[in-house]
Amino acid sequence: MADLEAVRKAVEFGKKNDAVAATNKALEEGAAPADLVGKALIPAMAAVGEKFQKGEAFVPEMLVAAKAMKSCMEIIRPKLVGTDYKPVGKVVIGTVRGDLHDIGKNLVKMMMEGAGFEVVDLGVNVEPAQFVEAVKQHSPEVIAMSALLTTTMLAMPDTVKALKDAGMRDKVKVIIGGAPITESFSKEIGADGYRSDAFAAATLAKELVGTK
Amino acid sequence: MTNKGEVRITLLPLGESFTMPAGSPLADHLFSRGIEFPCGGRGRCRGCRVRVISGNLAETQSDSLMLTQPELADGWRMSCQARPVSDLSIELRQWSALILADDTPFKFEPRHGFGIAVDIGTTTMAVQLMDLSSAKVLGTETALNPQGVFGADLMSRIAAAADPGAVLKMRESVRNEVAGMIARLCRHLPPGEKIVRGALVGNTAMHHLYLGFDVAPLAAYPFKADHLEGVELGGAELGWTGPASGARAWFLPNLGGFVGSDILAVIIATRLYEGNGPAGGADLGTNGELIVASGGKILVASTAAGPAFEGARISQGMRAAPGAIDRMTLDGGKVSAHVVGGGTPHGICGSGLVDAIACGLELGIIDPSGRLPAGEMRLRGDVRLVQQDIREVQLAKGAIAAGISILVRDMGLREEDLGVFHLAGAFGNNLDIANSQRIGLLPFAAGQINSAGNAALLGAKMTLFIPDGGKALCGDIISRVRHVSLETSVDFQDLYAEKMTFPEKGGIEK
Repeated sequence: MADLEAVRKAVEFGKKNDAVAATNKALEEGAAPADLVGKALIPAMAAVGEKFQKGEAFVPEMLVAAKAMKSCMEIIRPKLVGTDYKPVGKVVIGTVRGDLHDIGKNLVKMMMEGAGFEVVDLGVNVEPAQFVEAVKQHSPEVIAMSALLTTTMLAMPDTVKALKDAGMRDKVKVIIGGAPITESFSKEIGADGYRSDAFAAATLAKELVGTK
Repeated sequence: MTNKGEVRITLLPLGESFTMPAGSPLADHLFSRGIEFPCGGRGRCRGCRVRVISGNLAETQSDSLMLTQPELADGWRMSCQARPVSDLSIELRQWSALILADDTPFKFEPRHGFGIAVDIGTTTMAVQLMDLSSAKVLGTETALNPQGVFGADLMSRIAAAADPGAVLKMRESVRNEVAGMIARLCRHLPPGEKIVRGALVGNTAMHHLYLGFDVAPLAAYPFKADHLEGVELGGAELGWTGPASGARAWFLPNLGGFVGSDILAVIIATRLYEGNGPAGGADLGTNGELIVASGGKILVASTAAGPAFEGARISQGMRAAPGAIDRMTLDGGKVSAHVVGGGTPHGICGSGLVDAIACGLELGIIDPSGRLPAGEMRLRGDVRLVQQDIREVQLAKGAIAAGISILVRDMGLREEDLGVFHLAGAFGNNLDIANSQRIGLLPFAAGQINSAGNAALLGAKMTLFIPDGGKALCGDIISRVRHVSLETSVDFQDLYAEKMTFPEKGGIEK
């Protein structure tokens, strides 16, 4: 019997080499690639995300868990081709125009991938027009925007407007986050949601995909 | 109510009272009386809270979001949202700030006349009157930067500056405060004497807001200020009166990005420009600027790490003022706390925070990962640390340690290669060096670190004694300075994460 638990534990605790070894072993022993994702990787990242939310784990723990998961996915991904595995959804993520902060955005990306999403990362200093272009190109269910400064968060309503002007606003859900962001700001600018930590953001994205 | 439409507000325990139009913002009257507004009055932090002793102040939405039920029941309200419609008595503690000035002796060439050195900090400002023939400090004035009503941190103020009315208020309030401090200092002048020159320093945003330059370029990437140049003006043009009105005042030039003339002055005061072997420095105040110098080259960078240490994001954080725990020691396995001004502790300031975490690490109450399994660490009285406080400190000290690492590596060096590391700035001055090493904030051995006090003010003073005001020296330093943008450094994320964890016990040499 393939040992999925060994993979799950290794990813949760960020033990990349152990996770890779356990992944290879599980595949040799006949584990279905989709099971590795759904029963080992995703639960591992959810566990880390919950600990992060409670303050029991922090940025370094998230990063090493994400790196372990990434290494496992590199092995598993080619084996998913030709199966009927489908990501939970697609998210386009970026830090808004004028802002360079990306650690928060990267943590959200890790939690989204850890929840089974395919994530297109536009990087930092992303113009509203770039977000619009990404929606046209990738047809994501969700756009996730990050800003860390009280000065750059104003790019968020500009991006929402750009989506409206391009006739794309009703084709995506827009979620936002970052230190100066609040629930009331989110409502004010017509976003679909705000969460204050990366795990909650991924959970929100899952809910929004479910309701679409 | 007193006159129709007015309410009387009584401040206890001072007993002072004033009247104000009913329904107008209480906050308008409180900054000058010592209440701070860290988030600029947006209702997002708890820094402005006051307690209603008698009378009634309705609960606002912010109150219910930011304050606990027991606090609300006890009469606490967020003063930034308060609009009294009836007479009130509120409890108000004067936060008399401990502001760092400077009395370091230095070598100088005697000159005629008297001069003024001004350090415009984001939070605190210091001005000194100098006898240029003797380098004697005839007087010192300190004050809170009145722009603080628009926000404790720079970005809040830069955001507020999008409103032309706010920009004007920020410029006028800081100019008035500085002019007032100078006017009081002039009372120490021998009769008939005048101020002949002034030297002003501050970070780039302070420089722009004081001089009237647009800070919008500092609001977003690429954060390139339009005005790095030094500016010379007559005292009268700056609102200086009496014996100071004829002074030739020079606001020193900036170094790049947010790194301003205050860091240039630190470089002058610490002689980091002299190139005597690799050396470095940090000015840890509201912001955190870093300097590394080697072989004639100087690298500078800024981190926004200040606010965590100055208490803004800490649950019971406060600045170093009466009631703040500013020192903690371990006494036979138990923590012992010193409170500024003696008496009941109300909160904890940056230096106390560093000490508390060092104690927690030593006791094993706090993991090297930063986890606080017990959820809270009692310090003294009602003051305690919670898990999120430790995470905030990890973010701040990780940024500083990572920044130092990036600059040092950019120079092709390692931390241990620096002959001396100068620690300047208010927070830096109060830090216990051993504890700051213990938590990994300063990755240097004890012998490397030099406490440099308010080196920005010292550097400004030194320029008063240079015939050209230091213009040639500043020009030379600027030609050798490169401003490094830390966020765009490769590996920043991994390095930052690495520096967030605390060293294991016994990991750092004392």
